[in-house]
Amino acid sequence: MAPRAKFEVAGISKSFPGETGPLLAIADVSLTVQEGEFVALVGPSGCGKSTLLNILGGFDKPDKGEVLVDGAPIPGPSRRGILITQRGSVFPWMTVRQNLQFATTGLPAAEVAARFAYYIDFVGLRGFEDGWPHQLSGGMLQRVEVARALMAKPDVLFMDEPFGALDALTRMRMRGELIEILARDRHTCLLVTHDVEEALHLADRIVVFSPRPAKVQAVFEVTVPHPRMLTHPALVRLKEQVLRELGLSTLDILRDGTAAHAPAAGRSATPEERIAPAELSVRPSTPMPRIGGDAVEQFDVVVVGGGPAGASTATVLAQAGLKVCVLEREHFPRFHVGESLLPAAWELYDRLGVTAEIEAEGFTVKQGISFGLPGQNDDLLLLISEYPDIFPRPYTHHVERARFDEILLHNARDKGAMVREGWTVRDVLFQGDRAVGVLAGPNGTEPRPILAPMVVDATGQSCLLARKLGWRRPDPALNKVSHYTHFEGGVRPGVGPEEPEVRPGAQTTGVHTIEGGWLWYIPLRNNLVSVGAVLDARHDSGIRGSPQARFEHALQSSPRVSRWLAGARQTMEIQTISNISYLNDCFVGNGFAMVGDASMFVDPIFSAGVMMAMRSGVFAAEAIIECARVNDYSATRLEAYEARIRLPMSRIFKMIHNWYAILEKKEAGNLFLRAREIPHLRERLLVVLSGGYDRVDFESLLSEAGEGR
Amino acid sequence: MTLLRRAGPFLVVALFLAVWWFAATGSPIFPTPGQVATALVELVREGTLIRHVASSLYRVTLGYGLALLLGIPIGSLMGWYPGIYRALNPIVQLLRPISPIAWIPLAILWFGVGDSSPIFLIFLSSVFPLVVSTTAGVHLVEQQYIRAAQNFGLSGLGLYRRVIFPGALPHIITGMRVGLGIAWLVVVAAEMVAINSGLGYLIIDSRNAGTRYDLVVAGMVIIGVIGFILDIIMRRLETLDEVRWRYGTTR
Repeated sequence: MAPRAKFEVAGISKSFPGETGPLLAIADVSLTVQEGEFVALVGPSGCGKSTLLNILGGFDKPDKGEVLVDGAPIPGPSRRGILITQRGSVFPWMTVRQNLQFATTGLPAAEVAARFAYYIDFVGLRGFEDGWPHQLSGGMLQRVEVARALMAKPDVLFMDEPFGALDALTRMRMRGELIEILARDRHTCLLVTHDVEEALHLADRIVVFSPRPAKVQAVFEVTVPHPRMLTHPALVRLKEQVLRELGLSTLDILRDGTAAHAPAAGRSATPEERIAPAELSVRPSTPMPRIGGDAVEQFDVVVVGGGPAGASTATVLAQAGLKVCVLEREHFPRFHVGESLLPAAWELYDRLGVTAEIEAEGFTVKQGISFGLPGQNDDLLLLISEYPDIFPRPYTHHVERARFDEILLHNARDKGAMVREGWTVRDVLFQGDRAVGVLAGPNGTEPRPILAPMVVDATGQSCLLARKLGWRRPDPALNKVSHYTHFEGGVRPGVGPEEPEVRPGAQTTGVHTIEGGWLWYIPLRNNLVSVGAVLDARHDSGIRGSPQARFEHALQSSPRVSRWLAGARQTMEIQTISNISYLNDCFVGNGFAMVGDASMFVDPIFSAGVMMAMRSGVFAAEAIIECARVNDYSATRLEAYEARIRLPMSRIFKMIHNWYAILEKKEAGNLFLRAREIPHLRERLLVVLSGGYDRVDFESLLSEAGEGR
Repeated sequence: MTLLRRAGPFLVVALFLAVWWFAATGSPIFPTPGQVATALVELVREGTLIRHVASSLYRVTLGYGLALLLGIPIGSLMGWYPGIYRALNPIVQLLRPISPIAWIPLAILWFGVGDSSPIFLIFLSSVFPLVVSTTAGVHLVEQQYIRAAQNFGLSGLGLYRRVIFPGALPHIITGMRVGLGIAWLVVVAAEMVAINSGLGYLIIDSRNAGTRYDLVVAGMVIIGVIGFILDIIMRRLETLDEVRWRYGTTR
């Protein structure tokens, strides 16, 4: 079918009342836009290009001239052409679902449901359907905005600086997503932007406007096929030409050292923009630094951090024959907190080929969990051996992390990964929005580049990439502080006198509720016990004194734990960490992924941290192996990993909120309290708490538990 | 520390009661907290308390309900149509500062000494805060939301119901809270004149019929408690997800 004109703009002018008489905003603009064409309108800020967009969308009328859509005058705004702006018009009083369905008001319910199911997945917001806008990040809100526009199935998308309010990397990512959306679902698009790169990235045609009043100054065709690399020679040339039309070229900027010479009407950068690119990217034109003429090292994958997440990633990758390098700052063994594991880890040990070694190590056997609940005399004791067939073994371990992590990292080395301990990674190298390697070296030496098409961030709570990109999203409702230490000679309560031991000396992870939080009590080998207090941060700051004093204060509010530790000796100083849970906006980008605590940190209440870190490492590695097969490490492919890990993640978060609901409101009818009386709830709760997040019908578990309220 | 923080409010109340008790002991007229408590028990046992509370709440419900029914639509119209705003705003601003108490003589002249006068006064006292805050709420609905709604084909009542009203709702709720607070103040005053039930009547009657100051203070305590409960209920409205965006997420 031959392209036909979607818009015909003939000689329109528009002026607004000003202080000294009418101000001419648009002067005699003529333009034709073909069906399915993507046209970018570029010009200095305030030049009147937004006004033009509003006229095309029917929101405004020209003083002179004529605009035809499909050959007929515009009747006014309608669902056929949806406007997306940077200010965002996602209704804050509606959930994500209600916002999306707003676009399909009046359509049959089945059609609405079908479109909703399609577009919520399309923009990757499954799991957030019933969230409120004030709970979402800027990038997610913008996706809601785009999804809502698409729900209406418009002919035309009008975009007025659609990604202007986002940080630099999210913006690039949204551009990529937009290109994908358009590849699947062709729309005529009109984009107003002052960002020349954005126009080059997206548009078929770039129309450059003069400063006010807006006049068409130049038109450029962009014929480079998608996906476009901005380093493509044709695009670099084109960029130079467009910038020159706008009165600023890179040559001028370089010569003057600053962009201050650019016209005042030029782009005004947001703070993120000003910081991010300089910090993040090695300019493509800058030659890679070399030391002493050595060739730059190159791997398939660089893993930053050698804890359980990093070691698991590296092991699976090495098993698949990829060339992996793990860079770990410390020399193992080293102390780490988080000593209680979950039965679901057995499947992961098998995957990593480390089961026999873990078994042989003789860690303390953990047979279950006992929860001391507020206002209840009896503990809730959940033993894995009650349902012995669910996991490969009816127990797990309390481990000294120094030794456990060492086993995993050595295992990665044995399976073929290059493991370097005592190495610091200074920075992740980017080309555009794509990670291309790291800047690293032995501690205390000048770092040098190591190249890899794929970088995995396993830096734990340092969150190397997430902090840099601004993707780290703390959950203020779970703002906790932990004080913890080890004791020698505390009581080893075992699994209780009436319960069968699967192994002699088997223990449970003890959770004891106290004022303002809870205590963990984890018996380890060599007569050691790990004891920690997790306190609400506000509660903790209300207690005066040193960490030692605060810890003792917490200890005293549990008579039982105090009694158990009466004759015991504290073997190390109190360690304190801020324990605020966070979840990154995204776990992947082009050429990079985040695993373990570098992607999210969950409250330690269910001992999920280590097992989830290992699981995320395995899942990430499996996605990376698929990428390596086709040599494409783009975010779209890596999202397979993110999609798999998000579900268990969201369920852990729900369980944690459920737990703190008992502590804070002492809710009767809570899942934990009801699980004591109702066997099928008890079984499913046990499976979930053992790490089998995807093995039960989670929603019905929560809703059945809620029925007792 | 925590203990002190939690116990603080109770300590202040206890101190207040202690000072009161000390000061009132020996006074022939002014009652001690103990006498007030006895009076309260007496009122509850006789069943008069529940009757007075019910009549006061009945009047507030009708008067305040009427104010909601008229105030929100009028405020919405004033917020949306500049012409209506220009026409009505002067009269609203002129009537608003007149204390409802000042209307009592006219209310009795027009409505006599039944329930109608206090209901009218309550209506009058709460309708203006509602009109003003609804108008402001509608004014403040951001242009981009209205534009997006029109873009998706909404206009008229549909636009009002799904965008303008929910967008203005946080302000309307604030107006509702202020209005209800004033309504509760006014019902007591209104009941002190020419009527023979309600908490206001209870107070004025206890003084006139035998200087029962213990009953006067007991009535005051009940007024305070009910006003406090009403405010808690209204505050709960402000925590709904539909309106929290406007107040910020820190609550």
